[in-house]
Amino acid sequence: MSTSTSEIARPEFLEIELDQKPVERRRIKRKTINTIIWFVVLAALTAIVLYPLVWLFIATFKPSSEFGQNPGLIPDNPTIDNYFKVLEGIAGVPLWRFFANSTFIAVMAVIGTLFSSALAAYAFARVQFKGVGILFAAMIGTLLLPFHVVIIPQYIMFQKLELVDTYWPLILPKFLATEAFFVFLIVQFIRNIPRDMDEAARIDGAGHWRTFFSIILPLIKPALITSAIFTFIWTWNDFLGPLLYVNSPEQYPLPVALRLYNDQTSTSDYGATVAVSFLALLPILIFFIVFQRFLVDGVATQGLKG
Amino acid sequence: MFNIRTRRAALAAAAVTASAALVLTGCSGGSEPAATYDPDEEVTLNLAFWGNDVRADLYDQAIAAFNEEYPNITVNSSFLGFPEFWEKRQTEAAGGGLPDVMQFDYSYLRQYSENGLLLDLEPYLGNIIDTEPLSEQILGIGVVNGETTGIPTSTNAWGMFTNPVLLEQAGVEDFAGGSWEDYNDWMAEVTEASGGEVYGGTDWTGRIQNFEIQQRAGGDDLFTDEGEPNFTEEDLAAFWEQGDSIREDGTVISQQELEEIYPVSGFDAAKTASELTWDNFGAGYLGNLGEGYTELGLIAPPVTEEGAKDLYLKPSMLHSIAATTDHPEAAATLVNFLVNSPEAGAIFGTNRGLPASETMLEGAELDPLGEQIRAYEESISDRLGDAPPVPIVGYGTLEEKFRQLGTELGFGTLTVDEAVSQFFSEMDVVLNQ
Amino acid sequence: MSTTLTRAIVTADKEGRPRLLGRRGPDTPTRHGLKVRNRRETATGYTFLLPWMIGFLGLTLGPMIYSLYLAFTKYNLFTEPEFIGLDNFVRMFTEDPQYIQSVQITLVYVLIGTPIKLAAALAVAMLLNYRDRGSTFFRSSFYAPSLIGASVSVAIVWRAMFSTDGPVDNTLSFFGIEIGGWVGNVALVLPMMILLAVWQFGAPMVIFLAGLKQVPRELYEAAEVDGAGPIRKFRSVTFPMLSSVIFFNLLLELINAFQVFASAYIISNGSGGPAGMTNFYTVYLYKRGFADLQMGYAAAMAWVLVIVVAIIAAILFKTQKSWVHYAGDNR
Repeated sequence: MSTSTSEIARPEFLEIELDQKPVERRRIKRKTINTIIWFVVLAALTAIVLYPLVWLFIATFKPSSEFGQNPGLIPDNPTIDNYFKVLEGIAGVPLWRFFANSTFIAVMAVIGTLFSSALAAYAFARVQFKGVGILFAAMIGTLLLPFHVVIIPQYIMFQKLELVDTYWPLILPKFLATEAFFVFLIVQFIRNIPRDMDEAARIDGAGHWRTFFSIILPLIKPALITSAIFTFIWTWNDFLGPLLYVNSPEQYPLPVALRLYNDQTSTSDYGATVAVSFLALLPILIFFIVFQRFLVDGVATQGLKG
Repeated sequence: MFNIRTRRAALAAAAVTASAALVLTGCSGGSEPAATYDPDEEVTLNLAFWGNDVRADLYDQAIAAFNEEYPNITVNSSFLGFPEFWEKRQTEAAGGGLPDVMQFDYSYLRQYSENGLLLDLEPYLGNIIDTEPLSEQILGIGVVNGETTGIPTSTNAWGMFTNPVLLEQAGVEDFAGGSWEDYNDWMAEVTEASGGEVYGGTDWTGRIQNFEIQQRAGGDDLFTDEGEPNFTEEDLAAFWEQGDSIREDGTVISQQELEEIYPVSGFDAAKTASELTWDNFGAGYLGNLGEGYTELGLIAPPVTEEGAKDLYLKPSMLHSIAATTDHPEAAATLVNFLVNSPEAGAIFGTNRGLPASETMLEGAELDPLGEQIRAYEESISDRLGDAPPVPIVGYGTLEEKFRQLGTELGFGTLTVDEAVSQFFSEMDVVLNQ
Repeated sequence: MSTTLTRAIVTADKEGRPRLLGRRGPDTPTRHGLKVRNRRETATGYTFLLPWMIGFLGLTLGPMIYSLYLAFTKYNLFTEPEFIGLDNFVRMFTEDPQYIQSVQITLVYVLIGTPIKLAAALAVAMLLNYRDRGSTFFRSSFYAPSLIGASVSVAIVWRAMFSTDGPVDNTLSFFGIEIGGWVGNVALVLPMMILLAVWQFGAPMVIFLAGLKQVPRELYEAAEVDGAGPIRKFRSVTFPMLSSVIFFNLLLELINAFQVFASAYIISNGSGGPAGMTNFYTVYLYKRGFADLQMGYAAAMAWVLVIVVAIIAAILFKTQKSWVHYAGDNR
């Protein structure tokens, strides 16, 4: 955005103030230098940050026996067997099945989280009703308790509802905004939107629902995209939920399936483990690359002018 | 085959009479459910086990073989890695939804049994579950407070693996047996001969089993039948002090190096030439050692006292049935198939350890490693004594605490006395929980 | 009824008060109108909040209260909880050296790790926001480490990075710092864990980026016209406009750091070692609860943490007024 605005602005500037050309040239030059520095700094940081992942990728070509024996980057006996092994699937369940399970759960979670969290966030940020303070505090409070101590009572609850061994315990909570993280995140973004917009709408006779759908939702697109990305990735990587609530191997999502490659009481296949965790990374990386583009089209400015 | 029978006979002198009595009581107890049980009823059972994909394939085959005989019993299996398996079971146990049939671990048997979560198999012994091929001693392993809640699939014993390739490189003979001091000297020799490239072994004082066999050599199990500790702070301090010299002079691999090669062990990574552990760990070691390894040495642990019965057979795993099952007879039928049938033996081989049941063992075609384990367990028959009481509730916690204190001794972050007092205070908590 | 409502709104509009809920200030609409409007606002509010309320009351609140009760009991998961008063808390603070150590390392982790992680996330987010073109690749790269799930692969990679003659050791040696491998060095395990957290700074970075997208460009342009340099632009535009998001990230990262679990559990294979240096609060809690089946004790630990973090959160919320700016809150 920044470059495009200044690029449009610049020719005008040049035309009008021809006599200041040297200054402008210096400015352009400085801008180029800045861009080069920017690029170099980011490239260096990226190299550091990506190195472990590159290491992991190359490690997927190590035979299992090299784990622990060869700590270096390059495999002594590179092999592609790990991938063949992984692609065979586990115990008659093909690998794609685990990917499909994970994708289904993650997509449902994204829909549920966006729907329920945005609604709740709007209420907390824009509607002033009795009890808002206490409820908001309660919502923050749910963030504070380490989830391990509620695992058992929650399991008992879903057991009583006879929802164990279905995906419901994994998806239903998302539709009920139980992840306060996203509610709070969207609250913060809504509170940052000047009220002029929705108040103008209110004066035009729009109720909360119309304000919500036609004014607020478009304005919090970056927060919604962020929530979608996080929900997808965190659900994709969630291990404990599916472990407790899914019984049949053909229903396992990836993280549970992934652990089946190293059972410490029998033989652990570390080669297959790293290969499958690398493969598991790809869909979410693609998801991120696709969705982060929406972050670029900052919608904020167009709404905030005036 | 003959030998193993003599071994069993030697182990439990009263086995024949006792098992006959058992079969009788089993029959009388079991006649009633057997009468009301319709063997052709269509039922569905959930079966849960831990293991990797290899084992899962074997279970699939076993279930298919089971269904040829019992087409009316549908078995839904699910499997996980060991820690995840127990994480899930604990939650299910609290929520009241355990699977019908479970592969079970010895260390959890008491806990689940005492809380009434496992079915007493007594009524099915001798009818649905064939007790003939199972020795009295084997059956006795799964008895908690007079109730049989688990049937061992297989047994293992404490042993010592050695790495023939490293020993050859170092030019040192395999450990010829002897005392713990002899073992330390042998390790030092290996470490020295290899020029510090590899080590003779790992600090064995980090494993509670080595403490246990030393104590058993003196005639004491770690815990009494009542679950009271049977050793003093002095005993433990004396045990840990045996490791002082080998830790300090660099005979054994340092804790730092072990941390760096995690998740594999020093033995897996070909950094140590010997490792004291359960005798069914061989396949895992071979897998992680990789190319160049077709066999390992498997020999008896060092001797604390000549002639002492310090070793014992432990179930590598058991099969148990949830108390909440709707189909106890069908579940017992499945358990019988999984622990006794020659078909299961043929399918599993030694994947779950050396088969405990004679009929299953007959069906099993042992791979070289399996043969080696069998030969090993025969070779130590003189040292095999009665198994200790079923581990106390919280034994797993203590075992882990023991291991952690061992690593701290290795790091030098604790003195032996501090470690001893920490262990005893942990034991206090565990025993009073 | 409907006419009253309409009039209430109209009246309000005529008075020129766009804030429909005259909660503050003396110039609120008539009492009657306010009441009606309040009631209507409340109804609307709860409608919006309905899914959350169902989730909160149906799924979250019950288990939370139950866990609070468990904190005062001895509970092994299998038998009924037994009420033991404050015993769990007494044991925690007076008889459990492991607990004290776990509190200490967790505090170090939170107090050192969180600021570094947030600073890194903000700095990189601003760098990325400097230019859109070309930053797609960088943005994905910086987020990539946060994508990797809690599998043993993380342990394998991270240990390899910090082992003797691993990349970190070699780099430091190149600069003349010979400290050897970090993995097996009791003193360096905690810094290693902090660096793992910093490496996975993608989540706060993305949130910062989203926040930066919300900052109107015009404000920067106006500041530039005023001749503001980069530091002043940051102080007078970026920081206030981003403060709501900074507040969010600060609070959430603090909470997350206090609850650090997966990475430490994976790296130490659940043991909290070496020498208890990865035995963070929640790791220890989990071990007590699930491995040792002392769920009552674990619940007590959990609620001590809740109280501590709640106090910190309350203080943060109080300080909000002085530094967090909400464009949507009329002051």
